[in-house]
This record gives sequence, C-alpha cells and structure tokens, in this order.
Amino acid sequence: MIDLIFRRPIFLLAIVVMAQVMLLAYQIKGDHDVRLIRYWAVALVTPIERVGSWSMSKMGGAWSGYVGLHNARSENNNMRSELDQLRIRNAELSSRAAEAERLEAILNFRNAHPEAQLLAAQVIGSSADPASHTLFINRGEHDRLKLNMGVITSEGIVGKIVEVLPDTAQVLLINDKDSGVGAMFAASRTHGVVKGSGDPEPHMEYVVNDEKVTEGEAIVTSGEDHIFPKDLPVGTVRGATPGNPFQVIRVLPAARLDRLEDVIVLLTQQQVVFPKPAVTAVASPTPQTASTTPGTTATTANSAGPH
Amino acid sequence: MLNISDGPDRNIEVHKFYSGAVFGVSLLALVFQAFLHKYGRWSELIDLPLLVTIYFGFSRRNAISGMFLGGTIGIVQDALSHDNPIGMYGIAKTIVGYVASSIGGRIDTEHPVSRFGLIFLFFHFHQAILVITQRVLLNHSARFFSWQQLVDSLVTAAFGVLLFALLDRLRRSS
Repeated sequence: MIDLIFRRPIFLLAIVVMAQVMLLAYQIKGDHDVRLIRYWAVALVTPIERVGSWSMSKMGGAWSGYVGLHNARSENNNMRSELDQLRIRNAELSSRAAEAERLEAILNFRNAHPEAQLLAAQVIGSSADPASHTLFINRGEHDRLKLNMGVITSEGIVGKIVEVLPDTAQVLLINDKDSGVGAMFAASRTHGVVKGSGDPEPHMEYVVNDEKVTEGEAIVTSGEDHIFPKDLPVGTVRGATPGNPFQVIRVLPAARLDRLEDVIVLLTQQQVVFPKPAVTAVASPTPQTASTTPGTTATTANSAGPH
Repeated sequence: MLNISDGPDRNIEVHKFYSGAVFGVSLLALVFQAFLHKYGRWSELIDLPLLVTIYFGFSRRNAISGMFLGGTIGIVQDALSHDNPIGMYGIAKTIVGYVASSIGGRIDTEHPVSRFGLIFLFFHFHQAILVITQRVLLNHSARFFSWQQLVDSLVTAAFGVLLFALLDRLRRSS
C-alpha cells in the first residue's frame, strides 16, 4: 500500500489535500482554532522579524546619511571626509529626534489620560498574507495583554488584539475585512460602524441616505464596541455616495496604518474617562491632522469583528 | 545536476541544492513577505512564498517533496494571518507544488521567457484554487478574476524571473 502511494504520488496528493480539507472543516464546523500551529509559525518567524526590525531601524540612519546623500557629498570633495561624518551624525540625530517625537506623542497622550492603563509597543512585523491587514507587536501575555484590547496611536485608533502569545501579539487593523468599530460623526453624533473592506480605506456603514455627510468630516469612536473608549479619532470622511439602503462612506483613517512603528495598547476594557476637548466638525483630510482629539466618557459595549 | 530515469526512454534533470538552502529560502520568503508587508502596499503585489514553491518544484522535480514543501509553506502562511483558517493556502500550495514538480521535467523551466509564462499561469492557478476553496468550503464570495490580480500576476512573474536567476546560484554543481 505504502509502496503504491509512493509510486503514484497522485494518491498521496489526494490524501494530503483531503487531510487539509478535513482540518478546514474541523475549524469551521466547531469554530475551533488550531492555535498550536499558529503558535509554532509565529514562534518560527517573529524572532527573525524582531532582528530585521531592529536592523532596519539601526541601518535607517546610516542609509539616509551615507547612501541617500551620496550626490550632495560628491559636490563637496574637498570637505568630504568631514562632511560625511557630520551628516552621519546628523542623520543619527534626526532619526533619534523622529523617534523622540513619536515617543513624546505617546507620552503626551499618556499624560493626558493618566486614568487609562496604557502600554507602548513596537510593531515588529505583519501578516504573510497580502489580503490580511494584521500586525505583530513586541508585547504579549507577559505584559498583561489580552484578546480584544484596543490598539491606538496618538493620531487615532489602529485596531484590536486578536491573538496573544507570551511575548508577541497580533493586531487586527481597522481596515481588515473582518474588522468593525462602533463609530459616529463627531459633529452630528450619528452612529454607524466603520468596517474594513480589504482596501486601505475602510467604510462607514449603516448611515442612512438622508444624513448629510461632508468630505473631511471627523469620525470618532462611539464606545459601543467594548473595545475603544468613546470619542477617540477614527478618521475623516474621504467621500460619500448614496447607496441602497445605506450611504457608501469611504473613511481616511486618522492613524497612518501603513507606516506604523510605535503604538499604544489600551490595557483596560473597563470604563475610562477621557477629558473632553473641543470637537472639530470638519477636519483636514490628511491623516496626521485628521479630526478630533479624544473626548468624554469612554466605552463599553461589544463586538467589532469576528472575535 | 542529476539525471534520473523516468520511464524507458526519458531522463529528467534534477537539480540539487546546498544543504539547508530549501529550508532557509522558504523561511526567508515567509519572513520577507510578512516583514515587507509592514512597509507598504507595494509588497502585496508579489507572492514570495508562491514563487519559492514553484521554483523548488521546477528544480527538484520530485512530486512528493514539491507537494510537502508547498503544503508546509502554505500552512505557515495561513498560520501567520489572522483571517485564514489553517489549510486555505495549504491546499492551494500543496497542489501548486505537486503540479510544478510534475511538469518541471516535461517542459523547459530554465529559459526566462518560459519562466515568466509559467509563473503567470501558476499565479492564476493558485488563485483559482484559493477562490474555489473559499467558495466551496468556506462559503465566502470571492472573485475568480480582477484587474488587480492581473497586475499582481504580471509583477510577480517579472520579479520571479529575477528571483529564480538568483536562486539558481544555490544549485550544487555535480
């Protein structure tokens, strides 16, 4: 029998494919997750990603200082040696300054919300599936992370935690097709759900056609999903068209989801009170300046996304 | 390179690789795919794990090792994404690995033009298996064709020709 299988590999192919079909059926039928396989895969890949992430950040300064400015240097041959050193030093300082700015933004956010339990984390990798919008961060079970905790930046919300391993966690971004966030317009307080479409821009759904929606209008969290406190910036309206039965509203996320390096994890899912600053009805469409800043009473209600 | 007999009148060229090359390249492909994804959407145009599955299928020309390599790469790819149940990419890449190994000895897979064409076809074959799996087993609505996929397949094929030439250097001369 075994001899026949190895002489006719098509039988082996059928067995291997059938085994995977049964594995799929097992996961779907009973809503089981094969956590052990995911654990091994993440354990295999994330250490290399960590090293890569570290190397990229260290090499970034040298690249911009040495290679990126090669042409400028050649025009100053006489002072090349001295200038190179200064530029490398300058690039290092710029890199540190940029990092300091990011950390300052996180620190400011933390100081503004001393009652909230926040944890800074670094993005170390992302999904290997091009269609999946997920990230891996360098915090896990050992840092008290739990499923469904919200992940934000000082600019706006990022996503939620969907997998927690000892030193790593997986974050489902708000533009993933399985994601959904309770949201509302900052000015009119009309509620809806911001759902991922698989594209970089999520959509705000369940807003009736009669509701007047302006491009650039700020969208904030409604706190109904039990994940994000109320009034955190989600994004701004990129465009709205009438649909059946609801409007199709494209949302420009407030956080730069394709350029994330440092994020903040909301360690508590209990009610958090955020001081309420002024709410801007129409904000600039650029992500960095988008929309409101965090406001009023926070959160709790449930379910955005499948987990 | 090694010649092995496949029937009474035909010899198949089988390429051998330095030890650890297959494991190392496969792991790097998965890591790069995950790592580059973090730096922008352009990396989504290229499916590195698929390219590695096809390349080693073509070169080693052993259907059993091709299917197991493809299956393993696919399962790890599934495991690294949140959305996919384990087995979705696994099934697709198992079949791609098997077919690539099987046809590797029958047609020219060394010329850049034939490599481009084959990668292009395998990209859509892989996509078709994924869509069938999603529709039949997962009851998801997935499209068989989109213009974005056409662009992705052309970029993947062009990149694959360069990558294959690079990977040829890992072959052990005999």
